[in-house]
Order: sequence, then C-alpha cells, then structure tokens
Amino acid sequence: MKKLLLIFITFLITGFLAWDYLALPVSRDWSPTEVALIHSLSLSALPPLLADSSNSVSDNEQAVELGHQLFFDTRMSGSGKVSCATCHQPDLMFTDGIALAVGNGIGTRNTPSLAGISYSPWFYWDGRKDSQWAQALAPIEAGHEHNFSRVQVAQLIANDSSYKSQYEALFGELIDVDGVPSSATPLGTPDQQTQWSSLTTESQTNISRLFSNVGKVLAAYQRQILPGISRFDAYAQSLAADTDAGSNPSNVLNGTEIAGLRLFIDKGQCVSCHNGPLFTNHEFHNTGILSVAGQLPAMGRYDGIRTAQQDPFNCVGEFSDASSTQCSELRFARTANDLVSAHKTPTLRNVSLTAPYMHGGQIASLRAVLQHYNSAPVSMLSHNEAKPLGLRTVELRQLEAFLLTLTAPLATPAKWLQAP
Amino acid sequence: MTAESPIMYNLQSASPRQFIRVTCQLLLASWLILAQFSGASGAAATPVLTGTTATGIRIEIYSDLDPLLINQIHTWYIRVLDANGAPLQAQMSISGGMPEHDHGMPTAPQITRQLDNGDYQLEGMRFHMPGLWQLLFELTINGAEETAVIDFRL
Repeated sequence: MKKLLLIFITFLITGFLAWDYLALPVSRDWSPTEVALIHSLSLSALPPLLADSSNSVSDNEQAVELGHQLFFDTRMSGSGKVSCATCHQPDLMFTDGIALAVGNGIGTRNTPSLAGISYSPWFYWDGRKDSQWAQALAPIEAGHEHNFSRVQVAQLIANDSSYKSQYEALFGELIDVDGVPSSATPLGTPDQQTQWSSLTTESQTNISRLFSNVGKVLAAYQRQILPGISRFDAYAQSLAADTDAGSNPSNVLNGTEIAGLRLFIDKGQCVSCHNGPLFTNHEFHNTGILSVAGQLPAMGRYDGIRTAQQDPFNCVGEFSDASSTQCSELRFARTANDLVSAHKTPTLRNVSLTAPYMHGGQIASLRAVLQHYNSAPVSMLSHNEAKPLGLRTVELRQLEAFLLTLTAPLATPAKWLQAP
Repeated sequence: MTAESPIMYNLQSASPRQFIRVTCQLLLASWLILAQFSGASGAAATPVLTGTTATGIRIEIYSDLDPLLINQIHTWYIRVLDANGAPLQAQMSISGGMPEHDHGMPTAPQITRQLDNGDYQLEGMRFHMPGLWQLLFELTINGAEETAVIDFRL
C-alpha cells in the first residue's frame, strides 16, 4: 500500500513538473486577425514622427546640432560633472543600468529609455510634462540631477561664443543676464526663489523663454533617437509577405519565440498596454508595483496630470509655440481617481538592455517582471488593473524569449550616439 | 500684397486669359475656405460608427481618423437624426470604456461646438487598447432622455 502511494505521489510530482516546464506544440499558423495585430506592432506600421506644434524648432537641423552639444555638456550642471548623457547613456539605449538615477544626488525614479519616446504625448513616469522640450527643462533645475538654474543656462550660452551664435541663429538676439543672480529660479531653494522674486516680470519671462528654447533644442536632438529594425520586425514583415504569397510563415523566429509572441498577443494580455509599433500605448496604468524602498507609494498619474495642467511650460502656456486647439492631449486629459498610482507604460523595444525595470527600478530582471504580471499582486494604492495570468513556467520563458527578439541597434546616425 | 495678387486685378480691363485665371484662383480659394469650415472638416463621407436609441433616434459618427486606430487623438462629428433622417437638436454626454477590462477611456472627450450643418464636434477621442469598446450616449432631446450604446472592436 505504501509503495503504491509513493508511486502515485511520484507520478503526481512528475506530472506537475512536466506540465509546468515542458512546452506544448504551438501552431505557427496565424489567423488574418493575428497577422494584422502582429503587423500593427512592427516598425513598418510606425508613422513618421510629426512635428511638435509646441516646438517651432522640433525638426530644425541647427536645433538638432545645438541640442546634441548641450545634451552631452557637463558644464550645464552645478558640479560641472553632470549632463543629460550621465543618465541617458547611448550605450544602454539612453538609460543608465541602475535602479534610481544618479546625477548630483540619488534620484527617485528609474531612467527611461529615450528611443522612440518622442512619439509619446506625455513625459515622465507620471506624465507631469506634456512635451519633450518641457520635460528637458526639469532635470536641469532639479537639485539631485543637474542642480543648475535657468539663469546659469543663460550665462552658459552667453559665455560660449559657439553656443551664442548657434542660439541667436535660431532664436534671435540673446538676452543680457549680466547682474542677474546666477542661481535664481522659481523652483529652487527658498534663497533661489527669493532671488527670482527680486527680478522684474519682464526679466523673468525673458529668462524663462531662453530656458524654454534650450529645452526645445534638446528635444529636437532627442527626436533623432529612434528604434531600429529588430528580429521581430523582420518576422512580421516576412509573415505578411508569406501570407500574401499563400505559403507558410517564415522561420525568422524560432518555435520558442513564436510561442512567446502568441502568448504576448493572446493569453498573456501584454498587448493590451504594450501595443503599437513602440510596444506602448503611452498611457498610465496601475499594475501593483511595490513602492520604491524608503518611499511612500507614488500617486502616479493622478498627481502628474495636475502638475502638467499647472506647468508654465505646458502646451497652452506662453512659452509654447502651439495654439490651444493643438493641445488636445492636455485639454482633454482625464484626472479621475483611478489614475492613483498609475504609471506610464514603457516601450518594450530593446527591453533586454534597459534593466532594471519599473518606475523605481524595483524589479531587477525581465523574468521577475513576467512573474510579477503572472501573479498580479494587490496594489498598495488603488487597484491593480492586471489580473493573474496563470501562465506556466515554460510559458514565462517563451514570453521572455519573445521579448529578446525586440532588441536591435538604434536607427540613429552614429554621430548622434556619441559626444560631439 | 503684391501686384500679382488676384484681388488687385481690374477685371474689366483684364484679358480673357487673365479673367479665366483669376476666376479659377478665386474658385479654388473659395473651395479651400469652404472645405476648411464645412461640417466634414476632414471627416469621411460615411460614418465610422452608428447607433440607435430605443425610440429609433439614429446616431451617426464621422471621424477625422478613419479607420479608427488606437493611440491617436482625434475628433469626431456626431449627427443625431430622427427616424426620417432629419437632424435633431440634442444635449448629449458620452462616456465609454472597455467592459472586458473594467476601465474607462484614457481621455475626457468633450463636445466643443455645433457645426453649421448640425453636427456636434467631439474633441479629445483616443483609444489606447485593442479589443471591445463600449460607448454610452445619453441624449436629451426636447426634454426627453434617450440612450444609445455602441459596441465596437478595435
């Protein structure tokens, strides 16, 4: 009797392990709907990047050149050691490989990749900026990032003859900031704010306009950073070609990767949010991510949209080049309670190169991210939109294998990927 | 204004060739202006979605993004018609979401104006997921309340 029980238990354990770890045969055939969905994820479905109506130099070549120089210039920091490229490193898909960004000090958020981010209507994990140029301004004046001020930016441009001539070719005569307290900014310490308050309104506006122009050239440069054709894209393209020809789908991806793609668009529900050619809907979701160690749970988009609405550098503000009718995203943004703790869906392109993951770099590996979504834990604030997936271990590995097919060199000329 | 500008011409002294050219330019300009301000405003001639209330009032939705795609903000033009196809004046509110995912829309669209042809312009439409979407139209027409639910898949 005991022997029989032992055999039965061994059989159960073996059966469970086999079920959990062994792959079932997966069809390589796709329905027309699935082919269309796969095509919608490929770079061939990515439309050209439209000009940013709030940034009149968004596609200006001189602006790209000047933005490139400023992006890598460590002089644009209080210590002289921090540039945009300190955290947005070209070799790491413009991330930094660490959980929390480190500039002048340790930040509170993970550095997102810049590849393709110009397509997003919202910036920062909580969407508190509604344009790339407005986003570019905030780190410059943040104490833990560049620890600089907009007046110091003006002085940097004025004192560098090359910057000055490039700036003036784009925006006209540079304002005179001689005698203006160099650390004055409305966002800094109480002392800095007092210095800022001592300036005339006209002077404040002129300095902020110059500052916004610097953000606009930085954005023009960052718009060059675009993802390149990956193995997945080649598969999607050959799939469409095969379908047209009525033959079998191609073998650009192996069976494990194809099984992962099937899970991605079906049972894994990944495509609900990671959709479109950039594998992001640019939206905000609460997926039950733990707060960053030592931090209170973040309010996410709930606070982010309110900040964006108040931002003097937003699309409807005086420094924007857009008419208010062109600011639809801001004008018709939601502010509801279900945005509490919601953070922006990041792109999955090159995701294998951008660890650690989530808004605070809370999850170290891709496998751990997949396990997180498989269990869909209760959210610390509000509710987790995701539901447990019940995927087997082998399926998580298939999904991971598929995600690795999204890695590819950037479709950006080499000169933009290094310091000038 | 340059001397070449059409409205600087003296039409009585113009040659027939000049007259035809100016007329063509004026017609083209008029057409462009009309196209800019007409109810269509870039929307297609056929509705992207339609719905009907319990009493037979028909809702036709025209979109400046046609076919509808995810992740692109765009504008709708909503036509409310009685059973005979005549346009109706209506007050309306629109809400929507994805019943399978238990969430609403990513934006807060609003009716921003009524066009000369009676269509209502709805700005701020955007869908952020593929799948089944459901929109609820709550209409008030001559004091009577009507509702229409429109389901569609993206």
